[in-house]
Amino acid sequence: MTVDEATLTHLAGLAQRGDRQAYATFLHGSRAWLLRYFRRRIMPDQIEDLVQDTLLSVHRKLASYDPSRPVVPWLAAIARYRFVDHLRIAYRNAEDALDDDFPAVAIDDEPALTARLSLDRLFEALPDAQQRAIELVKIEGLSISEASASTGQSESLVKVNIHRGLKRLAALIERA
Amino acid sequence: MSTNPDVFMEELVGDLRPVRPLHQRIGMAWACLAVGTGAVLLSSVLVMRDDLVAGHPDPMFLTSAGLFFVLALATSWAVVDMARPWVGTRRDGWGWTALMAAVLPLAALGLVILNWAGGNRLSVDSDGQECLGIGSVIGCLTATALVLWLRRGAPSCPRRAGLLTGVASGAAGIFAVSLCCPYNDFLHIGLWHGMTVVLGGAIGRLVVPRLIRW
Repeated sequence: MTVDEATLTHLAGLAQRGDRQAYATFLHGSRAWLLRYFRRRIMPDQIEDLVQDTLLSVHRKLASYDPSRPVVPWLAAIARYRFVDHLRIAYRNAEDALDDDFPAVAIDDEPALTARLSLDRLFEALPDAQQRAIELVKIEGLSISEASASTGQSESLVKVNIHRGLKRLAALIERA
Repeated sequence: MSTNPDVFMEELVGDLRPVRPLHQRIGMAWACLAVGTGAVLLSSVLVMRDDLVAGHPDPMFLTSAGLFFVLALATSWAVVDMARPWVGTRRDGWGWTALMAAVLPLAALGLVILNWAGGNRLSVDSDGQECLGIGSVIGCLTATALVLWLRRGAPSCPRRAGLLTGVASGAAGIFAVSLCCPYNDFLHIGLWHGMTVVLGGAIGRLVVPRLIRW
């Protein structure tokens, strides 16, 4: 289901007033948006879990949306918060790496606002070493020693970079 | 483990209840009420400053109490706004106010160090411990109001929200204490009153994040 951002904003306002039909459409539209949002930065088998976690947060924190403003930056802030939280959960033993064939969103085709809110933008705010360590260990599922061999960083430096990078990501959720 | 998306969303829709959006003015009203209650409560329990009662407040009192009051308002504003996450928001305004208020304790500390280096030991009163203690306790009113507000919202950076909640509480508490504290001494205000804000910030940074995670 594709719902444009203006409609999504209108639906969110109606949902706050208890309109279930509008809320159902809002959730479907948000789900489609979140699937596109996450898919470049998370393993395919993890996406549905993360999307549902995010929708649950949207549901619980619906009052935190200011109906006088566009809804997408609010949705993106909640998505980023859940994403960073998700990264904190180590899944080094994951067997599947990112599937290169998985269809990715073409950044050039994205509207400017969406690009501004993207997870790539969040990652760009990190120093290269931290970005690489997080991508290899937390997203691609490599072990610390594999990431160390791949980057040339010592194992302890990989750990420090992950720790510092996650801390920095958490601080940048609304900024970057 | 994820469930069927359609079933999951149906459950959310079934659980929907009307919600009242978090408005900045409502959050600030709660914060101001907490700051005001602390000031009134303390003024009714302790004796208010003579110069204030006489209507001729000392300039040092006006300056320092005013700084702490504005710091409490500026940080409360930032905390209240943090409950409503939004990518693209910058809430840096409080930093300038904090920097301005930090001049007091830093200048007092500098004065102590310079005198100490010159072989002249300045005496710092110990009554300030009462200001520190009472200010911290009264500041809990503001902390409670802000934490309850944050718990209703979705702060994306709990650590910063915790730090600012602590600073706001410390500043609100020491503002209330200032109305009763008889000292106009620069060292007393800079060190003890300033320390209340620093202590509030440290406690807030340590305690509040675990109360507001979502």
